[in-house]
Amino acid sequence: MKVLGIETSCDETAASVVDDQLHVHSSVIESSLDEHRAFGGVVPELAGRAHVMMISSVVERALVEAGLDPHNPAIDAIAVTSGPGLIGSLLVGLAAAKGYALAWGKPFVGVHHLEGHLFAPLLEMPNLPWPMLTLLVSGGHSMLVLQSGPGSHEILGETIDDAAGEAYDKVARWLGLGYPGGPEIDKLAQRGNAKTLQLPKSMTGEGYDLSFSGLKTAVVRATEKQGDLAVEDVAASFQGAVAEQLLRKVRQALEKNEVKALSLAGGVAANSALRQGISKLAEEFGIPALLPSMQMCTDNAAMIAAAGIYRFQHQGASHMNLSANPNWQLVDVS
Amino acid sequence: MTTARTCFNDEATQSAGEDFGKLLRAGDIILLTGRLGAGKTTFTKGIARGLGVTERVTSPTFTMVRQHHCHNQQGIEMLHHGDMYRIESAGEVADLALGELVEENGVAIVEWGELAAEIFGPRAISIHFEVHEDESRTLSAHGDFDEDRRSEFAKWARL
Repeated sequence: MKVLGIETSCDETAASVVDDQLHVHSSVIESSLDEHRAFGGVVPELAGRAHVMMISSVVERALVEAGLDPHNPAIDAIAVTSGPGLIGSLLVGLAAAKGYALAWGKPFVGVHHLEGHLFAPLLEMPNLPWPMLTLLVSGGHSMLVLQSGPGSHEILGETIDDAAGEAYDKVARWLGLGYPGGPEIDKLAQRGNAKTLQLPKSMTGEGYDLSFSGLKTAVVRATEKQGDLAVEDVAASFQGAVAEQLLRKVRQALEKNEVKALSLAGGVAANSALRQGISKLAEEFGIPALLPSMQMCTDNAAMIAAAGIYRFQHQGASHMNLSANPNWQLVDVS
Repeated sequence: MTTARTCFNDEATQSAGEDFGKLLRAGDIILLTGRLGAGKTTFTKGIARGLGVTERVTSPTFTMVRQHHCHNQQGIEMLHHGDMYRIESAGEVADLALGELVEENGVAIVEWGELAAEIFGPRAISIHFEVHEDESRTLSAHGDFDEDRRSEFAKWARL
């Protein structure tokens, strides 16, 4: 079985062909990031328009690269992100998927964007031991997920305010750095002293919930009070505090649950402090660590196709009247 | 009329929101302005509590608007929590249709509401968050209120 995946939930327009052995035949990603960079963040209207401009050529390239006829491809289904995300962006992908489904006479299935992220590590390391603990951190989400198998997930905890990537972007904009904020802060942090700022430890209790709003405010306060701080030191202190909290929660979860593998997912998984910390923790607990490649961490359509294969095989196709759900919660996927 | 309340910590900011939420009526649009970390989301969490929202209220920056069901005696059924941090033009604010959404027994709270002021103008209640040296915050609420609501909001400031 071969599935065409389509992803347009934020600023990446992506299409990919994946088979039910989770082999990726093609994965095309076009980003409108350069257009957004000047504004210090994704501009929703620009994103929607960019998807409209790019979607057909991205899909065509994904099909051709997979050796398929772009006008009548030998695929078995189409998977598309139907939420959560920016409504204007989601609608472009969903409308395209429905159009192709009708034109080619193929079934289509709506996929939860975060379930896609949870499938991303499986595309690179398909023979994983279960249960697996995944730290999913991106611009819109931050959560710790325990999976007993593919498609079976329990959210142990999630952010009570800002997502980790959102805190990175906001702190970066505050410091006058570029967008996206994660790579900029990560780069500066390598040269800074993490002990410069005494930032508060957040969420020190038992649970697995996360919080980054207080940290963001503490950085703003510190830089307002002390104007001569080196930006490298602020970046290092902030990054150190974010990683400390995330890794502390992962450690707690590893101590309290039976976990056979540890993985990292979402755009913030590209962060160097987090990757190092996760590797170390996995080593300490004697389990494998799955650190997806950069291409698999960030939004892509291969992960959507993979999650789509699972959903299609277990629940069948979606109806043509499926609408985009910008606030779709992962707990509501079953 | 403008009325102001000073809060000395996060809990006080949330309480100010809770008290404020109890004064709201279906159709109200509230615009929040103030720098990063000024307490806009904290205040909104309080409003949600005042309106009887049971689920968790988190930053809507990513999806721009989140909806929460309310349980109260004020005739407000839905809280629309918007965030204009990523928005660049008033046209995009209009696309979110918050003005229409609140007509169906809803209220809208809009963070980074500067741009939205162009659209909603005098019909909105605006609250500006000012952060002082000692970390206290002054919340200045401004709106075109009728006689009844004037006294209610004046009382809110004295709580």
